[in-house]
Amino acid sequence: MNHEPRAVSRLELNTTIANLRDLRESDLRDYDAVYLGDIYCRIYEANFLEQLGDLKEGLRILHDQGKRAYVTTYAAPRNDFLPKVRKMLEVSAAAGAQAVEIHNLGILKIAHDEFPQLPVHVGGFANVYTAAGAEVLRGFGAVRFTPNYELSLEEIQEITTACDAPMELLVHGKMPLGISDYCFLLDYEEKWGVKCPDLCQKELFVKQGDWAMKSVGKGILSGKDVCMLEHLPRLLAEGHRYFRIETVSESPEYRREVAAVYRAAVDQAAGGDGEVGESSWETLRHHARIGLCNGFYFGKSGMDYAGIRPDAIGSLLTISRAES
Amino acid sequence: MASPLLLAPAGSPEAVRAVLDAGADAVYVGLEGWSRGGARRELGWDELVAAQRQVASAGRKLEVAVNTIPKPRERARLFDCIPALLDLGIRRLIVNDIGILSALRRRFPDLQLTASIGCGAQTVADAAFFRDLGAHAVVLPGTVGPAEMREMRTVRGISLEIMIHMVEEFVLLGKCWMPSYVHLKPSRLPAVLPSEDADAGDAPEGSQRGLRQTGSMKRGGVGACFKICQQPWELYASGRRMAARLFPSRQISRIAEVTAYAQAGVDVLKLQGRSLPVELLAPLVRRYREAIDAGTAPAADDVPPAELPAVWAVVGR
Repeated sequence: MNHEPRAVSRLELNTTIANLRDLRESDLRDYDAVYLGDIYCRIYEANFLEQLGDLKEGLRILHDQGKRAYVTTYAAPRNDFLPKVRKMLEVSAAAGAQAVEIHNLGILKIAHDEFPQLPVHVGGFANVYTAAGAEVLRGFGAVRFTPNYELSLEEIQEITTACDAPMELLVHGKMPLGISDYCFLLDYEEKWGVKCPDLCQKELFVKQGDWAMKSVGKGILSGKDVCMLEHLPRLLAEGHRYFRIETVSESPEYRREVAAVYRAAVDQAAGGDGEVGESSWETLRHHARIGLCNGFYFGKSGMDYAGIRPDAIGSLLTISRAES
Repeated sequence: MASPLLLAPAGSPEAVRAVLDAGADAVYVGLEGWSRGGARRELGWDELVAAQRQVASAGRKLEVAVNTIPKPRERARLFDCIPALLDLGIRRLIVNDIGILSALRRRFPDLQLTASIGCGAQTVADAAFFRDLGAHAVVLPGTVGPAEMREMRTVRGISLEIMIHMVEEFVLLGKCWMPSYVHLKPSRLPAVLPSEDADAGDAPEGSQRGLRQTGSMKRGGVGACFKICQQPWELYASGRRMAARLFPSRQISRIAEVTAYAQAGVDVLKLQGRSLPVELLAPLVRRYREAIDAGTAPAADDVPPAELPAVWAVVGR
């Protein structure tokens, strides 16, 4: 069985890019790896998962830049997706993708049965809540796991202790909260004069008082950006090596500047220095439209922030700027 | 063409009686503390014992939902309950986690395990995955139509259930963390077996039995979900307020397609609605019973709208 050793010393900072245009516009110098594709929608603008020529080109670009090249897959497919998924997996394997991220158990079975040479990273929608669940997926070829976002660091540690499963953690960006079969943004095509697939590329939030979530059409993300910047020393001490900055719905500027902050912080933390400079916080606050949170890592509701920098939340500032 | 079985929900002892009288072939209930139905729609141990006697004496089957995802420490408690369930004659459990399913399969080979609708299966490949994992059955949402079910039927070795009457919320079942993003609150897990009350003693709250994560659909229960998807929201685009809206949701009631599902090879027609009061649940079950027994397919252009009276809408499942 192809196990990815958890004790690997190499740190990995990775992200997600949905299409070739976005990939070409992105400065990836601070990333080690990139997942290609949009997991939510087949008709997202030139989605790598549908445009297989673009996917080949995207994988080539990443290889040329010396990045690890991964491909993600749809989180909630229907039967009619599956022929395309098979072709996409075939192209990924042939074009040298180093792993495929899988959220859906049926796609996992297809990958395991038909493309056993492709290492599998299990995505957050696969609902890995326990070590027993991770072990089941290992039997289907999984070598890395994004635990369900609801798990605390303590619970994640219980899994890694029980089964030595390498975990990939979302350290920054908007956390997936749900996926739908429908895109309610289509209701606004006529009213707003904006057509799909441009609709979901607007900066869209649903809000109710202090609550806010970001809409990407079929996907709902946290309104606040998960931020684990000041907790990186703990993550490293607990043995984690794979860190995701989720930028699938963000601009190239966000992708570049947030990565620069985390690259510096990860390297510092790996050297035993957990201090984070003020300019780093400024950068993160600038890009977080609604504010910062820790997700569920500290056993609290996903939009809470815990840490020595409570002002990192910055929600009032960022909301007022977004709406002014 | 074999008639599919009608699997009805019951959230109380009265509901168990009512759905049997209304013609259900099988009944599913939640086991207190372990089902996504929430405490108000689960059966305590004594109620479960009585329900099993009643169902067995009517020659029908009882299925028990244990479809939350317990933490590792809590899982041992859940597994301690299984021999008692088997002793009662209960063989069918509905589960929501692949780890639990796999562990139960290994440890209790006499059980028949159903992959709950919360497992998120929607495709022929998903059905094959759960078959390989050892599931006896998999539940598909009512959004999967007869034509898709016909494709699913190419997978042999697993029973196919369709949730033919259900609420479809905006976010897919089993793929939602919106409530816990807003609020997450640990609450004490109740006792299941009578012996557990005696064992609890003066232990601090939650320390013996574990905690439910109220607000988590997977680990708390729908009864404790804050239903934020049903709240009114304001939609902002690039910082500008554009609209006030609800997330889309709808009641799915595909009673007009009962025969089409049967012809597609569906084994079980399942109704959502442990929250429905008996006076609404019983006529709902009866309507589906009649539709199954009628057993003739209307012509394709003669299919009436798949609607039932609004009072049968499943509120909060």
